[in-house]
Parts: sequence; C-alpha cells; structure tokens
Amino acid sequence: MTEEMEGTPAAGRIRELDRPPVVDVLGQVVAQRAAVARRLASVRRVVAIASGKGGVGKSLLTANLAAALASNAGQVGVLDADIHGPSAALMLGARGQQLMLGPEGARPALGVSGVRVISMDLFLEGDDTAVRWRNYGGLAEDSFVWRGTLEANVLREFLADTDWGVLDYLLIDMPPGADRFETLLRLLPDLGGALLITTPSAASVLVVRRAAAAAQQAGARILGLVENMAQAADPGPGKGLADDLGIPFLGRVPFDPELGRSTDTGRPGVLIDPERPGARAILELAGRLEGILA
Amino acid sequence: MKFRCEECQTTMEFVSNDTDRASGVMAIQYSCPECGHRISMVTNPGETQMVSSLGVTIGHESLSESAGGPMAQIRRSLDGDAAWTDDRGSPDPVWSEAAEKRLAAAPGFVQGMVRRLYTDWAKRNGYAEVSPAVMSKARDDLGMSEM
Repeated sequence: MTEEMEGTPAAGRIRELDRPPVVDVLGQVVAQRAAVARRLASVRRVVAIASGKGGVGKSLLTANLAAALASNAGQVGVLDADIHGPSAALMLGARGQQLMLGPEGARPALGVSGVRVISMDLFLEGDDTAVRWRNYGGLAEDSFVWRGTLEANVLREFLADTDWGVLDYLLIDMPPGADRFETLLRLLPDLGGALLITTPSAASVLVVRRAAAAAQQAGARILGLVENMAQAADPGPGKGLADDLGIPFLGRVPFDPELGRSTDTGRPGVLIDPERPGARAILELAGRLEGILA
Repeated sequence: MKFRCEECQTTMEFVSNDTDRASGVMAIQYSCPECGHRISMVTNPGETQMVSSLGVTIGHESLSESAGGPMAQIRRSLDGDAAWTDDRGSPDPVWSEAAEKRLAAAPGFVQGMVRRLYTDWAKRNGYAEVSPAVMSKARDDLGMSEM
C-alpha cells in the first residue's frame, strides 16, 4: 500500500484483506459479549423493568421512573427492549428523532429531562411501519427458527452499539414474557437487578410469580416488586406476593388514568403534576430504588 | 467452523465465502495447506439465515455487516421502510464563548454531562454552534426546568 493511499477507503479494505480470515463463530460471539461489557463500563447501574405479563404498565412506569431519576440530577438512559411494540420514545417525548450514527456509536434520542432513549421506534419511518426482518432465499415462513436469535442480537446491539456516555441509571423496559429476560442476563451477567411489576389481577399475579421464579433460577437479582394500577380501597395482592417470593415490596402505584394520558403525550406524569397520587407513588419508588442501588 | 484433511491430518484453511443473497446459499471454501485439496461447505437459506442472525463474520464477507458501524446488524436485517442518519463524518457544533461561560457556572461534576446534552441536542436540531439561545431552546424542548 502506498503512502498516498493512507486514510482512503481503499486503504481500509486492503488492511481488511491483509488480516487472516475469520471463521471463529464462537470466538466472535464471546467478543460480542465483551463489547457489551466495555460499553456499559460507563453506566453505574442497569435495571430491568420486567413482569412476564403484558399490559401491567411496565413502559409507563419505566418512562416515569426515568424522568423522576433524571430530575434528581441523574443521568438516565432507557433501552426499549420491546422490539415489536416500542413505546418508550413516545412516552419520553423522543418520538420522531431519527437514529444518528456517530463515531462513538449510535447516538440515542434525547427525551424529556435529557433521558437518552434507544428503541426500534427510532428506525421506523412512520406509524404504519412494522418491524420486519429480511430473510435469505425468501424463507419468510421459516422465520420462527431464526427470529429469536436475531432479536437477541438486536438487544445486544442496543446495549453495545449505543453511545450512552456516562449514565447513573440505564433502565431496560422489557417486553412481556420471561425469555428475553434470560437473554439479557446472558448478555449482562452483572445486571444491577430487576424490578418486577404486577397489577392486582389474579392472572398478573400468577404470571409474575412464574416470571420471578424464572428470573431467580437464572440467577437474577430481583430488587423488588411493585403493584401497579392499585385500587385505593383494596389492600391488593402485591405485598403478599412479594413476601411469598422473598423479595422486597417496593410499593403500590394507584390506578391513575391522567398519569397515563400525560405520559402518552411525551411528558411523563411525574413532571406534569408531581402531586398526583400516581406521580407521588412513582417519585417515592424512584427514591427507594436510588437507596437500594446506592 | 473447522475442517480437517484426513489424508494429511491437517486443519484446512479458509479460502473464501461466496454467498448468494438472492438464493440464500452460502458456500465457504477451505483448502488443505499440505496437499491443496479443496472443499466447499454449502448451507441452505435457513442455515445461512441462522448464521447471519448471530451477527458474526465469515471470512472477509460479513453476513450481518456487524463490522459496518453501529447497529449494523439491525440496519442490515430490517426490511421495508427504515431510516437512520449517518453522522459519522460531520463535526460537532462548536461552543460560543458566551455558552462556555454559562457552562462554567454549572457545578464542575455535571459540566461534562451538560456539555454532551447540549451538544447532542444542537446537533440533532441542526445548529452549528451552541450559544446561550440554543441552550435555552434545548432546556425548553427537554423540559429541563419542569418539576
């Protein structure tokens, strides 16, 4: 290679060809995980907000917790792990910002209070665009075979390729189901912990109980349980469930449609009216979380 | 993936990866460094897809283009309408003297974070310079004064 070629695209290609060819698949997978660890070295705590059950308000709690923690002068990021139903960008006012690829990685979108957000939503052109994956040789009907692997790698790229910068907290809004949580644990063995969310419904309690068992068997640290959409007149099942599971009960967040309405406009309710019962409960929860993770 | 030449009792060496994206067939060639015998490992589209989904590189060809910058596998794998901005070549906005003064008034331990926040906001919103006016706009946009 001549001196004139240095710094040109061709030079990079020539260097690439000079390297021994790589076929070590396992070695590369191990290296991918090491890249996740390197990236997250500047993140103080990573917390997964999980449930196992859909529709319990994980995303709403994640957005409000992120806003509450950021308003306490913390640096907060949110990773929306719900690949097919992303909502974190909407709830944190980051919708419409395109993903920007910078020299240090993908720049997360900036949400309210400076919360950094990464989500599949940032890749999608419009409201009617669904996540669809390309396939080799037109084998779309067999996509169930490889989709799980690919989507586990989406999570890995979100973690490893995002230029998070220095963060006090990275909250991961998990999708329903326990399987993705196990993927996260494999990628992040030193996960700060998981916050489990249930509602008062018997169906939710059952699913969360199983999700907690799966998380504990996988070796996850469960920070505690939150009962969301709690009814004021009813003591609710949250405390009993937490006791059964041997984990801390971190509180009840009352059912508050206004909290949801404001969060849906991209301004989490804790910022709009911190005195509302729902907002107050989340602010207290944020304080407890800070204490646990201190 | 490794192959062995039984004749020479030698591990074969990777030669090339010829992947036909349309058919989904991947053909990886190996040769024996001793006797020169060549073989190809051929995968069907499903097998190719599985390897691609791992986000790994086979030879100099990258099925997932995981070496092609951040989020390469996602960008490579998304079908249909997907968008991103490649901002790797453009410089960050510069900070005006007045903006630097305003930043200096913040406690030292948050200055790095504040600088990054305003720089990112300005860049996203097309400003070449971070001025006090831009900082104010960013604060309003991000709701930093709320609560």
